[in-house]
Amino acid sequence: MTAVLDAPEAPAQGPARAKRPARSKRRAGTPRRARPAPQGPAALISSISTMVALLCVWTVLHLLVFADVSHAAQDLLFREFRVQLAAATAPVDGTAAPGAPVAIISIPRVGLEEVVVEGTAPGDLFAGPGHKRNTVLPGQVGTSSVYGRAATYGAPFADLSTLVTGDLIDVVTGQGEITFTVLGIRRAGDPLPQPRAASAARLTLLTAEGAGRFAGLRPGKTLYVDAEAAKGFPSPGGYSPAVPESEEAMARGIESLPLVCLCLALLTALALGVIAARLRWSVGLIWVVAAPVTFALAWASTDAAMRLFPNLI
Amino acid sequence: MNPRAGRLRRMLVLGTAAAGLGLAVVPAVPSASSAPAGGDAAVVSVAAPEGYARTRTITREILDTSGQTDANLSTSYDVTVKANRTTNLRGRERVEISWSGARPSGGRAPNPYGEKGLQQEYPVVVLQCRGTDDADLPAADQVRPESCWTSSWSQRSFIDERYGAWTQDRYAPAADRAPVTGLDPYPAACPTPEPALGSTHITEFVRKDGHVDNACSSTQMPPEAGVDAASPPAEVAAFTESDGKGSVQFEVRSNVENESLGCSDKVACSIVVIPIVGISCDKPVGATLTRIERECRKSGVFAPGSSNALGTADQAVSPALWWSESNWRNRFTVPITFGLPAGVCDVLDPRPPTKFFGSELMAQVALQWAPAYCLSKKRFNFALSQMPDAAGWENMESGAGPAAFVSSEQARLGPDPVGYGPTAVTGFGIAYTIDRPGNGGSYGDLRLNPRLIAKLLTQSYTGSSLGRDHPGMTGNPVAIMTDPEFIDLNPGLSQNAQEAGATLLSLSVSADLMHQLTSYLLTDKDATDFISGKPDQWGMKVNPSYEGMDLPVAEWPLLDTYIPAAEGECLKQNPSVYFTQLAAPVSTLRTIAELLIDGQPNVQTRCEYDPATASYKLGRIERQSFGARFMIGLVSLGDADRFGLRTAALKTSNGRYVEPTESSLSAAVSLMRQGARYEPFAVSQEKLVAAKDAYPGTMVVYTAARLANLEKAQADKVASFIEIATTEGQVRGRGNGELPTGYLPIRRTGATAALWRAAQETATAIRAQEPPAGVTSPQPGSGPGVAPAVPPAEIPGAEVPKGDKGGATVTDGTVPTAATVATESAAGGILLPGLMLIGGLAVASSIVSRVLSARGGRP
Repeated sequence: MTAVLDAPEAPAQGPARAKRPARSKRRAGTPRRARPAPQGPAALISSISTMVALLCVWTVLHLLVFADVSHAAQDLLFREFRVQLAAATAPVDGTAAPGAPVAIISIPRVGLEEVVVEGTAPGDLFAGPGHKRNTVLPGQVGTSSVYGRAATYGAPFADLSTLVTGDLIDVVTGQGEITFTVLGIRRAGDPLPQPRAASAARLTLLTAEGAGRFAGLRPGKTLYVDAEAAKGFPSPGGYSPAVPESEEAMARGIESLPLVCLCLALLTALALGVIAARLRWSVGLIWVVAAPVTFALAWASTDAAMRLFPNLI
Repeated sequence: MNPRAGRLRRMLVLGTAAAGLGLAVVPAVPSASSAPAGGDAAVVSVAAPEGYARTRTITREILDTSGQTDANLSTSYDVTVKANRTTNLRGRERVEISWSGARPSGGRAPNPYGEKGLQQEYPVVVLQCRGTDDADLPAADQVRPESCWTSSWSQRSFIDERYGAWTQDRYAPAADRAPVTGLDPYPAACPTPEPALGSTHITEFVRKDGHVDNACSSTQMPPEAGVDAASPPAEVAAFTESDGKGSVQFEVRSNVENESLGCSDKVACSIVVIPIVGISCDKPVGATLTRIERECRKSGVFAPGSSNALGTADQAVSPALWWSESNWRNRFTVPITFGLPAGVCDVLDPRPPTKFFGSELMAQVALQWAPAYCLSKKRFNFALSQMPDAAGWENMESGAGPAAFVSSEQARLGPDPVGYGPTAVTGFGIAYTIDRPGNGGSYGDLRLNPRLIAKLLTQSYTGSSLGRDHPGMTGNPVAIMTDPEFIDLNPGLSQNAQEAGATLLSLSVSADLMHQLTSYLLTDKDATDFISGKPDQWGMKVNPSYEGMDLPVAEWPLLDTYIPAAEGECLKQNPSVYFTQLAAPVSTLRTIAELLIDGQPNVQTRCEYDPATASYKLGRIERQSFGARFMIGLVSLGDADRFGLRTAALKTSNGRYVEPTESSLSAAVSLMRQGARYEPFAVSQEKLVAAKDAYPGTMVVYTAARLANLEKAQADKVASFIEIATTEGQVRGRGNGELPTGYLPIRRTGATAALWRAAQETATAIRAQEPPAGVTSPQPGSGPGVAPAVPPAEIPGAEVPKGDKGGATVTDGTVPTAATVATESAAGGILLPGLMLIGGLAVASSIVSRVLSARGGRP
């Protein structure tokens, strides 16, 4: 964790350093006297805390604000899925590729309407709720699991804990529309729901929630919402018998570690590049060239790093 | 068995079923649990005597000019007719009709069925008719020639017959001896009779719904009697051997196969057996016999036992006049009853069916068991959903059905332990329809060894000239009938090769049965050598496509890819893999059995020209002609018995050949051992073969169900099913809930005692749904497996059971469930607050340090 938090610091340092002299340079022409560069331990502390602050603020901003853009991929997914529904090519079995839309879920009571994508790895859930790949699709006979984030990336399932027994959940899949009735909310230690009837379709929504003060910012425990429809669609099968560890609830994987390293390496290279460019180019040019690249790389490395964190938060 | 007993029995069956009682509870096998209470169960427990036997004297009495019986021409026979089964018949079931004391037949036709059997002398005509012989019944319910089925009009009517011997019939009423007789008034749709040319008689056919078919031309017959109808003729003019005996497997048709005839569980029918002895002629008119009087007195032109290829038989002693009073009065009427139709539970029971998935070996017994469940309010609507064993198993494990029928240990895919309750002992058979050459009847002693079966399965016979050039198979016999090994084993058969003799009609889908058959091949060194590429002593080599094939397999693959060089236009248009067309496996054992009854190979090599599209297509070859049939197919023992198919004796050890009989199945069962509690019984094929007298095709069908996490209601159903199936379901009989032949009863004592005990144990465990600690979980990988239809992770939150979490709260009427397992992530909980806190601190620190350094830097 610390390693991860520290890592983006180094590249972030580059642009920051490059910026500061630039600003003083520009203002050198003004009557104001040039400020001497800080010296000694104070300067070190100042630099480090600035970097840490930038990093933290950026990450928080990314998770809570910018990442809504990832979640905005919903519009594209919705369009794609709508076309598939119209063409009757929407997946009805386990053949959908991870990330592809498989259903539309809406809970009128909490104003939720989301396109469900295939797969529950942390990265899949950036775009919206994800269908766990070793369960049947929502609406099919059997028990289907759908995971959704509670706090970050648009927080589609933030309000699940307000659901009560009897609330309706509408699901549209390639097999048609089906309405589930919420059976109840479960937390750790609560009894599992009654075994479902043979022809029933069950849907379990999973998300995370926190406790105490700032509960909304502390999604650490899994919350289950069970819902059931009396008559499910037939299941054609073909689902994978198991999923990787990283697709289980609250699980995280290290699959994206190489990607994180690559992004950080690129950020470092960018920083070095900016330093080198500072010797030749004007400050304005560097800003124009480096800022978007920095922004994109920072974005990519944060997304990659977030794959190392639990999928439901 | 008379009609009254039949009615009584039907009433009892219905009454008993309605009362929710088991059909038959034999005192020797008391029900382990849920013993039915009630008085009349004991009455039905005594199985009605099955079959029919009757002896009577039948005569031909010809009067001479003085009106006395002419002792020289008249004949009399004491004929005994027997039928082996008469109650609860099913469509297409075959009843063995045998007789003795009849007059030997002459002029045997190559095919005695339908109109092709008309030109014979003194045959025994066997017909299926609607109605019974009971004078108390209304006329419409009585058996009469008009309610007897024939598949062509020429078997019942004559138009302008020059010398109609029936007009001389002394027993016929005077009105029936006129030139035009029968259906009155004479129908306008029929050709106008010319009394100057001859006599006309019409035996119309009255359908079940009362519609009358004029039966005077092929267009005036019921729809089922069409030319080349789906079902070949069943009515037969069978031969009597020179010792006066004869027998025939007579196929009965229910209203499903023949709606016009309309026999069903509600419509009583009969098999009418008429030994033809000739028309009893009336007193001649004048002193010298007229031509027609001489025709009536004729006694045949063919010697007893002779064959008739082209000649014309004497009409007076031919089967064509079976309807005339002289013959009709000599009839034996075998009353038959039909069982409930296969779909009765769908119609009569509104409850949704509880489907048990799996083996087709259960088909015949499920047919009889299902009504005993669905007609009882205390039981459930049991239904068998046939599918490959492995697929049924997966459905059971995934919860799609409460139980599966499997006949071997299956690979466990789900988390729950599964118990196997032995439910039926049956097996596979290699059935055949083979005629002896020279009109010698059908062959009944087929013997096969593993190598011959391997030769058939590996498509190593060339089939015809088309397969002759298959690489690596030059010199192989064309078909099994020309294989010296087969000829040694089964001498005296025709050696005219047919394509159907190059293949064993088999299953296209996976089945435990195929696994067992291929395991049987492995027990024989000759067979394994042959498959591994070593030629047999006559130089026959295995088809290279199958050389070195790994056995056993649950699904026989079609591996050959040889496409013969096209000669004719048809093959040029339809290039196809010849050996695959020869094998042409089908998807159910029942189909194989029906094709064997009909003598219809499934070989798809017939070229047909379609003038409309000016193109050729390939189709199934013709039905084999009676007398030259040769077909071998893989069937279940239940089907073989139901349809009267003969099954081959299979080679075991010490040169023995064992047929499937009750004792050979028992011998095999007594060798089986159970691995552990709730597990299936197993015996290696090597042991079976070494035991000499055990039938290698013996298979135990298990009801497999989960021992944990099965819904209570479902678990109760499965447990009671096993208990009922192994008690009253093992009583031999043809009624609802009873065990048909083709299955070995599982009894509390004897060879099957271990199976019976295992069944009760498993039933108890399934009902309890708490697997004892001793249950071992079999490792996956032993049986055939496919990807699961529904994934195992049923309830999220329960994937990783941990015992330390809080106990489940149980409310009334609910099933106690485990507690939701805690899935937490500290990282998830502190990520955002942590970032904010550190970020806030860093911002503060940065500002403070800047302010400090700025202040420090100022002079």
